[in-house]
Amino acid sequence: MIPILFDGVVQGLQLALLAVGITMIYGLGGILQLAHGQVAVMAAMVAALLIAAGVNAVLASAAGILAVALFSVAMDWSLLRPAYRYRGEERLLLSLVLTLGLAFLVDGFLTFRYPEIALTLRLRTPSVVVGGITVRTASIAVSVLAAAAFTLLALFLVKTWLGRAVRSLMQNDVGAALCGINADRTRTFIVGLSGLLAGLAGIAQGLFSSVGPEMGSEFTILALIVAVVGGVRSLTGTVTAGLLLGVVNAFASYLVGTYMTLILLLGVALVTILVRPQGLLAYWA
Amino acid sequence: MTSLLQVERLVVAYDDIQVLREVSLEVREGEAVGVIGPNGAGKTTLFKAIAGLLRPRAGHIAWEGIRLDGRPAHDVARRGIVYVPAERELFPQMTVADNLTLGAYAARAGVRSRLARVYELFPRLAARRPQRSETLSGGEQQMLAIGRAVMARPKVLLLDEPSTGLAPRVVAAVYHQLTTLRRDGLTILLAEQQVPLALSFCDRIYVLENGHVVLSGPPQALLNDPALKRAYLGVEVAP
Repeated sequence: MIPILFDGVVQGLQLALLAVGITMIYGLGGILQLAHGQVAVMAAMVAALLIAAGVNAVLASAAGILAVALFSVAMDWSLLRPAYRYRGEERLLLSLVLTLGLAFLVDGFLTFRYPEIALTLRLRTPSVVVGGITVRTASIAVSVLAAAAFTLLALFLVKTWLGRAVRSLMQNDVGAALCGINADRTRTFIVGLSGLLAGLAGIAQGLFSSVGPEMGSEFTILALIVAVVGGVRSLTGTVTAGLLLGVVNAFASYLVGTYMTLILLLGVALVTILVRPQGLLAYWA
Repeated sequence: MTSLLQVERLVVAYDDIQVLREVSLEVREGEAVGVIGPNGAGKTTLFKAIAGLLRPRAGHIAWEGIRLDGRPAHDVARRGIVYVPAERELFPQMTVADNLTLGAYAARAGVRSRLARVYELFPRLAARRPQRSETLSGGEQQMLAIGRAVMARPKVLLLDEPSTGLAPRVVAAVYHQLTTLRRDGLTILLAEQQVPLALSFCDRIYVLENGHVVLSGPPQALLNDPALKRAYLGVEVAP
């Protein structure tokens, strides 16, 4: 039981890492980023290509993460610009079309151009024994990375001026403007940061399985489920939902079989929407 | 006195409906200027246009010699024109302390001492420091909105109907605090429904009706105007 639970927690942290970007971009910009999984895949692909070219794996991973952070900023400046001219529902709808288009474009390009490239990272020691239980070192590494990322994110949001600005914009954009906060610039920064976290999630997945060009949509769907269950504006909700769904996922694959897990996850999302449409820990309670 | 803010022949319209028709007004340093008028006269529209939340269709707004109209709201706020809307626009899930701190976003030097000053001015906010702003009473929220604006070290405060929805006792407290701020030299542009309040607080008054300035001058002069008396003070004047 305990190894499955631990597995679930690790998967949950990874899911949360992927979903937190969707939550932040939605909360700040009113945009649903449907190419988020593709961003994660691109980080893995850049890393894989660099490793194939002989670059050290750690450096290649860092370069992949940085590349997608910059890609996200570029996306905010170019592709999303028409959406920002509108507000509310119109902006949301336009963003769905634009980012879905981007997702198809990235999927198509990667599967066409690099069909055989995939990121597989192997740690030197595959597993260690902790308290009588054999644990994969990859699981430990990913937990540590994700925990560090969330700690830094929380500190950033609570302690820094920019972090406070981000929270204020998520709650009241007019109030934020009256405090002299530039919403556009803050949002661009958050889109970049979300890309960086998605990239980290993509690389982390490479420690467990190979990440190939066709996996973007699956990542996006998983991230969306987590964001919805967590309440699309709440960061603690996203992390909680990630952990919950990770554990559900792990037990489902153990007890029922992997083929059922996505259905079960969608079931959890459905029940959440029915019972608590605002999400588990949503702000607007 | 130096002129700080000049609004000239300002026209603001929503679609085809003109809400402000060539409104002109001026605020000089250290003054408290009042804008009064019935509901729908265009007071809030005027304030929103100055604050950069609405784009005027014609006319212009000048601030210390530069043009303000067409600039985004955050830019206007950074220049020291700080708007306190009637809706207050607080951050509901943040604490009182966080709301106030964010007010200083564009003026970060000396935050601690200013925070202490705001708490001294509004002791009720000090008592509610760790509470989320959504849990405050209407009067406390109004104080928080004013406190947050003071944190920005404003050169002029745009106060839109600070008495709306508040009990008379609370209104008196808020105006007492505003008087203290005035004594410290703060310049204020105030919209107020309760005409006697505006007349006693302000140095000069503009009367707005249907998007026009129909009267302006010091309160004493307006008090002697029969039309104003009839319209706003409910005093019937013998013909």
